[in-house]
Amino acid sequence: MNTIQFLSEGFQTAILPHNLLFAFIGVLIGTAVGVLPGIGPMSGVALLIPVTASMTGGMDPASAATSSIILLAGVYYGAMYGGSTTSILLNTPGESSSVVTTLDGYQMARQGRAGPALAIAAIGSFFAGIVALIALALLAAPLSDVALKFGPAEYFSLMLLGLAAVSGLAGNSMTKAWIMTVFGLMLSTIGMDVVSGVSRFTYGISSLYGGLEFLTVAVGLFALGEVFRTILHKENSDGKIAKVGRILPTRQDFKESSGPIVRGSLLGFFVGVLPGAGATLASFFSYIMEKKISKTPEKFGKGTIAGVAAPESANNAASGGAMIPLLTLGIPGSGTTAILMGALIMYNIQPGPLLFQDHPDVAWGLIASMFIGNLMLLILNMPLVKIFAKIIDTPSKYLLPMIIAISVFGVYAVQVNTFDLFLLITCGLVGYFLASNDFPLAPLVLGLVLGPMIENNMRRALTSSNGDFLVFVQKPVSLVFLVIAILWILIPVLMKLRGKEVIINEEA
Amino acid sequence: MSKSFDRYASLLFFVIGAAFMIESQRITHTAYGSKVGPDVFPFLLGLILGLLSIKLFFETLKYENSTKEKGKLDYKSFGIIVAAAVLYVFLMEPVGYVISTFLFLLVGFQTLERRGILKSILVSLLFSAGVYVLFAVILKGTLPGWPVWLG
Repeated sequence: MNTIQFLSEGFQTAILPHNLLFAFIGVLIGTAVGVLPGIGPMSGVALLIPVTASMTGGMDPASAATSSIILLAGVYYGAMYGGSTTSILLNTPGESSSVVTTLDGYQMARQGRAGPALAIAAIGSFFAGIVALIALALLAAPLSDVALKFGPAEYFSLMLLGLAAVSGLAGNSMTKAWIMTVFGLMLSTIGMDVVSGVSRFTYGISSLYGGLEFLTVAVGLFALGEVFRTILHKENSDGKIAKVGRILPTRQDFKESSGPIVRGSLLGFFVGVLPGAGATLASFFSYIMEKKISKTPEKFGKGTIAGVAAPESANNAASGGAMIPLLTLGIPGSGTTAILMGALIMYNIQPGPLLFQDHPDVAWGLIASMFIGNLMLLILNMPLVKIFAKIIDTPSKYLLPMIIAISVFGVYAVQVNTFDLFLLITCGLVGYFLASNDFPLAPLVLGLVLGPMIENNMRRALTSSNGDFLVFVQKPVSLVFLVIAILWILIPVLMKLRGKEVIINEEA
Repeated sequence: MSKSFDRYASLLFFVIGAAFMIESQRITHTAYGSKVGPDVFPFLLGLILGLLSIKLFFETLKYENSTKEKGKLDYKSFGIIVAAAVLYVFLMEPVGYVISTFLFLLVGFQTLERRGILKSILVSLLFSAGVYVLFAVILKGTLPGWPVWLG
């Protein structure tokens, strides 16, 4: 079967009434998550895993996985839409990938052009979503074919490269990022070893035999950690919300923003594919690029529509591009995709090259649903933007305790034991203290998710080489991955030594 | 970023790394047919973590202690809510979902803002009962119901 055929089957899966509903709920909640300051896409997705798990409880595993991943992915790219709303209306970005949008977006709102800014952000995001989707559909099959030829040694090195990329870009201190990565890998070794059946680091605690539940750790670190931070720092957004006004952009607006949208989408997509980079970097790069090539660079920062169109397209395209390494190689390039991967593994579906062979309905259903979800977002965001703007007013007094209650409910609903609830609160506290001291959390989650796969591939490779570690450098493809990984770590270090500023990815 | 936190953290991570190395030695070394048993990966990770934490410790010697004051932290609300959350988790199974959730939310709402007690009661009641009805009654999921002494 060829791509078109697969894609049309994906659409058949995606337009099933319940999947349409799931996509709708996903993008709706995602937009709300993006609008609400304090919950980013990562904690939003983590928080919804247990909810979707209980909603899909009655279905068979494959279709349950399809439906929940459709919802969760909807939250992910929905948040990219929603983030722009607060950037433009309030001058406070809902999530980090919309930081650049505030530069011109808020200026436009002050000039009474908030409506067109929001509309162009939505249109740009839609266009970017479609670009990412087409590229995803085209690249998925060939890439997974290549990846299928990889042996355990190649896979091990590729995953090390993924870890190196994410750790190299996360946070201010690379040492801290690496500590978090290794710590995540160590946590993943707790529990029963799948190869030998030996239990490791369980100390007779029966709840530990299955390993630390990924869901509990992720919800605790991100959702609860955020709540604790917000309570401690008493963050209140008292900013004045700008009036939305007339929504439809003028012909001139369209003319000025069409170029930036196309360029932002392409650039964002490629940045998104790279592990470790992501929506935040993509939006920064595209803004800088537009400013460089613009004939009127002095207009940037004073409310030019190109300054909204480019970063908003780029961050959406990047979130689509980030799906490529996740789906085809099984390597998440960011915190949020790591959480999506954890969700898939919960349903016994292993992302990676085999995904397109074993579960084409999941992979293509997701791709098709992203198309439908983007369409829904466009329709939702144009007329409803005024309603979404109202969500910003939700008092944090009610929001914060409710997030804790939803986390507790979600974890209990899936795990049905109190051990995980204690683990949840512990992770929340640990997450807060680590994050507030510049220890990035995304590498930890990435390590936790990738740990079992890295270990398995390492042991399989070493078994066939009789314990000789040189096997990883003797295979050419594996060697190439390792060299790139080392360069990825060394180049920023060298640049820092030479006194240059290194761009880091705050988003995680 | 606090220098002392980083120092303690590097110490803690060093201990964890060392503990992992020692404890991994107690795991069976052999897995049949393979020289590489279940102990190798944890041992290597412990080693790497130990080395990284030493690196972090030396880095803390270099950088200046940045004492940027982030404003006063609201430790009181934080403490009450964390304590309430722990209590909530303890009480969930004995007292049941609806009652424990109601109490937790009420405490949480009132801690963050001591106004509108009636509205707080209403919102917490709606949330706890709503989730219970939706999940346990309609979707037939598992949530601890009512305490025994309520019959």
